[in-house]
Amino acid sequence: MSELIATLVVLTLIKATPIIYAALGGVISERSGVINIGLEGMMAAGAFFAVVASFATHSPLLGLLAGIGAGALFGYLLAFAATRFKVDQIVAGTGINLICAGGAAYGLVVIFNQPGASVQVASLGHAFWILIVLAFALAATMQWVLYRTPWGLRIRACGENPSAVVSAGLNPLALRVYAVVISGALAGLGGAFLSIGELNLYSDGMTAGRGFIALAAVIFGRWHPLAATAACVVFGFFEALQFVLQGQISWLPANAMQALPYIAALVALAGVTGRVRAPAADGVPF
Amino acid sequence: MTRATRMIAGPLGAVVLILVLMSLAMIAAGTSPVDGFTALFVGALGGRNQIGETLVATTALLFPALGICLAFRAGLFNIGAEGQLLIGGLCAGALGAVLTVPGPIGIVLMLIAGAIGGGAWGAIAGWMKARFGANEIIATLMLNFVAAYFALELVSGPLKGPLAAGAETAWLDPKYWLPTLLPATRLSIALLLAVALALVLQWTFSRTVFGYDLRASGEAPEAARRSGINLARLTWLALTLSGAIAGVGGATIVSGELHRFNTQLSPGYGFTAIAVALVGDLQPLWICIAAFGFGILESGGLAMQASAQVPKDAIHVIEGLIIFVLAARRYVATRVEGTLP
Repeated sequence: MSELIATLVVLTLIKATPIIYAALGGVISERSGVINIGLEGMMAAGAFFAVVASFATHSPLLGLLAGIGAGALFGYLLAFAATRFKVDQIVAGTGINLICAGGAAYGLVVIFNQPGASVQVASLGHAFWILIVLAFALAATMQWVLYRTPWGLRIRACGENPSAVVSAGLNPLALRVYAVVISGALAGLGGAFLSIGELNLYSDGMTAGRGFIALAAVIFGRWHPLAATAACVVFGFFEALQFVLQGQISWLPANAMQALPYIAALVALAGVTGRVRAPAADGVPF
Repeated sequence: MTRATRMIAGPLGAVVLILVLMSLAMIAAGTSPVDGFTALFVGALGGRNQIGETLVATTALLFPALGICLAFRAGLFNIGAEGQLLIGGLCAGALGAVLTVPGPIGIVLMLIAGAIGGGAWGAIAGWMKARFGANEIIATLMLNFVAAYFALELVSGPLKGPLAAGAETAWLDPKYWLPTLLPATRLSIALLLAVALALVLQWTFSRTVFGYDLRASGEAPEAARRSGINLARLTWLALTLSGAIAGVGGATIVSGELHRFNTQLSPGYGFTAIAVALVGDLQPLWICIAAFGFGILESGGLAMQASAQVPKDAIHVIEGLIIFVLAARRYVATRVEGTLP
């Protein structure tokens, strides 16, 4: 029994980590006033390019950097569209999701010459524990930056009242671009963790809605980095539970257990959202 | 620019841009664009069978796109059409497998079952939004995953056909198959149903109080609320109807093409339909044309993959880019004209 609990704890941490990175990306983006529906696609881009770079250079570290870079690039695309062209952020994010998921599937055929999954590449191995610890450290750091530093105050002001930021002599659009690029980089890091941290390859659809679960965690955590991280641990727990319960409880169908994390996110979404308030200018072009 | 040239130049510019991007994707895959486009168009329109398959894809995209359009008009971003399509198909397939009534009645009952199934799936998100203020984008997306596992569980066990090898329901009696529209192809009269639905929706949006309420609550919710529109009820209703329309689409795929339900019902029609609805500018009649365009990409994409070795997934990248180009085009038009288009 204690062995089972230990497995559950370890798996929970592993499963929560990629969602935490994406959720932290969601928090900083929404705090600056840009809803990042594209987190899912940015994770896929990060996961895919991490594998490509690791495949090309045999260095998982460069793979990790490539994943972060790819996420940041798509973050910039969203930021550019949202600030320069004032596009509907949700429409643009949906476009990014399609581009990234389709692009990765296309890339698998072009680069690895096989559909569905890449070849196996050099993975981070045990070093992925550093990334797990880093996720929690980053959450604490972001909490501090957002609430205890001038830059954090400015980012939050962009999400609440961008006109006030202009009055203070700053450019809210530039701040939003920084925030969304960081958001993409974090989502890319989460994706890279999935592909070359947990595993050693990219497979089609491997992000499996985690970017959206992260968005649910952002709302559940009321746009606070630490609270959102706690929500991610809860979702990670349900994902881990499904693995641990398989083969343990015969009367519960396997497919029902696989749906657990998504049902948990739905329940969380319904359970708290009526009583929370998003940043006032969240999703509003300026 | 005059209004007329802008109306033509905008979409034309988008089409040219998209063609250039597709050419680049083909070159990257090691195929000349000439070969690639030839394979695409011959594969989509080169003969009776190809045209039939293109129109089959058009129909499959048109239903969820119309559903998405209805929700969008109320300002609700329904990205759960994929799940609603699946549940609609599941309900129709499950019912069709056990029916013993005359053919036409059975087909109508199956379509109704699809509407109820898809509608119920949309209603969950609508209820969550109206009752708890839950974000409908995340709710509808999560429900896609739940739908996929739910359907897989049911057709692996209780609803699995007695003779079925894989996870699927029993085959339908041929009297419950939707009549064929184009002989010797898989195209059923579902296409006519979808176009008729588009006409009804166009009329509803532009000529009825409900259509006005939808638009008012989407564009100016506060004004709508103060004018006496019950926003919670409208939210719930819009997402339910949106799901029901997608669900009917799922039922027509089961009754018209597959003649049974399995979980491979849709290769992402519900997601492509978002692009279709946006390209069609949320106008049902334009959406019909957009669905045909995307139908060409869907069926031609398969042919292109087979004969020119360009992966079909490139099509999804193109769809994403189309969404981007169109979203930005509004802003450019605003800048040029000085007024909102």
